[in-house]
Amino acid sequence: MELQKFSYDNRMTRNFAIATIVWGVVGLLAGLLIALQIFIPWMNFGLEFTTFGRTRPVHTNAVIFAFVGNAIFTAVYYSLQRLLKTRMYSELLGKIHFWGWQSIIVAAAVTLLAGFTTGKEYAELEWPIDIAITLVWVVFGWNMFGTILQRRTSHIYVSIWFYIATWVTVAVLHIFNSLAVPVSFLKSYTLYAGVQDALVQWWYGHNAVAFFLTTPFLGMMYYFVPKVSGRPVYSYKLSIVHFWSLIFLYIWAGPHHLLYSSLPDWLQALGTTFSVMLLAPSWGGMINGLLTLRGAWDKVRRDPVLKMFVVGITAYGMSTFEGPLLSFKTVNAISHFTDWTIGHVHIGALGWNGLLTFGMIYWLIPRLYNTKLYSTKLANVHFWIATLAIVFYAVPLYIGGITQALMWKQFTPDGFLMYPNFLETVAQLIPMYTIRAFGGFLYVAGFFILVFNVVKTIQAGSFLAEEEAQAPALEVLPDGKTSSESGHRFLERKPIRFLIIATIVILVGGIVEVIPTYLIKSNIPTITSVKPYTPLELQGRDIYVKEGCYNCHSQMIRPFRSETERYGEYSKAGESVYDHPFQFGSKRTGPDLAREGVKTGKIYKPNSWHYNHFIDPQKMNEASIMPAYPWLAKKEIDIQSTPGKIRAMKLLGVPYPDNYEQQAIADLKAQADSIAKDLATAGIQTDSNREIIALIAYMQRLGVDIMNKPEKK
Amino acid sequence: MHTNDEDQLNKQKEVHQEVDDATQIKYFGGDHEYDGIKELDNPLPPWLKYLFYVTIVISFSYLMLLFVFEDEDIVQKKEYRKEMMAAKAKTDIAVSEEATKTAAVAPLTEEQILAAGKVIYDKTCLVCHGKFGEGLVGPNFTDEYWIHGGKPEDLLKVINEGVIEKGMISYKSQLNKTQINNVIAYILSLQGTNPPNQKAPEGEKFVKN
Repeated sequence: MELQKFSYDNRMTRNFAIATIVWGVVGLLAGLLIALQIFIPWMNFGLEFTTFGRTRPVHTNAVIFAFVGNAIFTAVYYSLQRLLKTRMYSELLGKIHFWGWQSIIVAAAVTLLAGFTTGKEYAELEWPIDIAITLVWVVFGWNMFGTILQRRTSHIYVSIWFYIATWVTVAVLHIFNSLAVPVSFLKSYTLYAGVQDALVQWWYGHNAVAFFLTTPFLGMMYYFVPKVSGRPVYSYKLSIVHFWSLIFLYIWAGPHHLLYSSLPDWLQALGTTFSVMLLAPSWGGMINGLLTLRGAWDKVRRDPVLKMFVVGITAYGMSTFEGPLLSFKTVNAISHFTDWTIGHVHIGALGWNGLLTFGMIYWLIPRLYNTKLYSTKLANVHFWIATLAIVFYAVPLYIGGITQALMWKQFTPDGFLMYPNFLETVAQLIPMYTIRAFGGFLYVAGFFILVFNVVKTIQAGSFLAEEEAQAPALEVLPDGKTSSESGHRFLERKPIRFLIIATIVILVGGIVEVIPTYLIKSNIPTITSVKPYTPLELQGRDIYVKEGCYNCHSQMIRPFRSETERYGEYSKAGESVYDHPFQFGSKRTGPDLAREGVKTGKIYKPNSWHYNHFIDPQKMNEASIMPAYPWLAKKEIDIQSTPGKIRAMKLLGVPYPDNYEQQAIADLKAQADSIAKDLATAGIQTDSNREIIALIAYMQRLGVDIMNKPEKK
Repeated sequence: MHTNDEDQLNKQKEVHQEVDDATQIKYFGGDHEYDGIKELDNPLPPWLKYLFYVTIVISFSYLMLLFVFEDEDIVQKKEYRKEMMAAKAKTDIAVSEEATKTAAVAPLTEEQILAAGKVIYDKTCLVCHGKFGEGLVGPNFTDEYWIHGGKPEDLLKVINEGVIEKGMISYKSQLNKTQINNVIAYILSLQGTNPPNQKAPEGEKFVKN
């Protein structure tokens, strides 16, 4: 057999690696900023662009799609060529992929800060950017499969199985969750409403964790851990079992984000059970990573890269143990809506994604630049700082989350809430938030050490754009399965068949959960008194979404005594049928707002209170941690957009009367005038065309409908 | 050139071993390797396999409890009803015990009442009536003017029933009788304290007799 000579293209790997570092700085600094903003309300510096409701999506998107995303592409562009003994399929596709992805990130940051958002977590980007993501993702897949098909190795290695599953699942999730009706260039309404939207969103949201933060990193782990340690992978059989069980089970687990919500019981139960069954497959990955290091523990002691891998994989094991735990309803009743969840995801993000990425960078950069790492000692320092940072970050959030949840639930012996004022429970969190911010600061500081080390390494080396390699040509194997090979071994040399089977496996869970929720009426029982929003309320709702209120306020009263006593009647599935998008929220930094408008309710506030509170929350209560929104009283409602919005809603099936779009502006003005008049009686003079009026109208509508008796015909 | 390549290939083949030195475990498939990475032929760790089986059994039992037995701890509506009934029973006992107890307890001093009232005020009233009762969205408590009357009975009525058109909700379900009495005493004690940033007087002048 003749050895063929060729070369690996290191340019794209290098570009993605640099982008990972650059966006790492941005994403982590954004994280530090919001860690401060959450307890220091003036930290937006009086600007609407930097309020928590807008900066938090910037942080999550920057870290997930920019930092982790580029890290994934770095790993793929490096390992794919070497595992397949071939060059990347196309330099042009690589360039389009690279620059396309970076432009998307820039567009994302700009639009999110400017307030253009769909209001769906980790899928906030508006429709033109969503289309761009789809196209770039196709380019990535094209380049990846082109490379796979021109390979010189007969079989594809386990890393590549994970890359394939990642690619197809992210494509499916992104496309289906982003389906929307555009209203204007940067505004759209999601196709789904209320409970259905929540289900699709968390099918997406949970599997963004699974197929963006987990499976590609398992692929990375399977390449870099054996490569760096020089040890064989612990078990080939385990890799088969845990790969297929992981991708099959993960897709079902989304509803565990909606436990005790108005999602039907059967869906919640599937969320719980599939999360529980995920434990062993997840740990299969951890075991295969850690046990690969058997016989190399001495090396682990000395090598900061391997140390980072070990702590990263251990963090993966911890968070995948905690995940099933949090999916039990009894635990979720405490953890949900609190900082516990934030602590949980950061074990995964800072530990698993962060440390694995750092390790990869420390190992890769010297190889790309044909030199040694500038300072192993500094890498060691970074390792210790990052590990310490994770502890300082997570522990206070666990303590704070549990404390707050227990306070929410505490009753006096004679049956009243012990802490009826939500702010009392917030006061307990301030010290915890302070320590958390310190943990975040440490993590950022560690990252700057990496930046310094990398810059010094690059300066000392010279970039190896083309890396010479040689390998025998692809061995021609019989087209069918031979008697000596196992079924899976056969599949490993049939990548397209592999892709098709993986696609079927990941589709099952979504189909079983989503389709019945649409087709079977009993899942979302109709409530006849629930009516579409008035034009002014609809505009107010769009402002609520734009300002990212859902980042701190839920609209989902769970069926607990402690919640119905605090907020009023628990939320019903039929109430949110006109909510495009749903706004259940996932965190209560402030109180729930689902019944804010109910006049006979527990938390009703007059228009004048809302007005004053939006302008200056600390005036109403100096312990409040909400930022001020004075611009709401200055900015005018985009009244002209109303007919288009009504039309889009009608297209989505919201039952406005025929030709209502012609009536809408007049109705909007009339309602706005009446609110302005009411404010005037409380001594507040304001024009009725201001955003604050629309937002107040929305507040006063929240949760009202089911309290109205159905009209008698 | 040619022979060199062949040599190298032969050399690569020689490196291929069947067994890993460090662990004495067989490689999977003998010589299969990817970019130098080999895989061992270890079976699944038995404890992991059994863990997987156990989670599957737990999950199916859980689903059975829901779908077949409609267990009251999984069916959400039933669970809520159960919690509310249990709470009501408990609260009824506590309230009746409290009623029998109070006779024996010495009445609070004026100071204790005011201190207890202030705690309630800070939790509940402050957000609309201001930190010192100076008035914010709600009226000023420190002047001599009252919209709905300044007698304790008048305050009691407002607290119990609310003035919903003005945004004052009913606190009957959030505060017990003692708490309401204490907070009324505290509010009435604020008159004449003259804090800064007072809201203009509203309603009619009411002079204590």
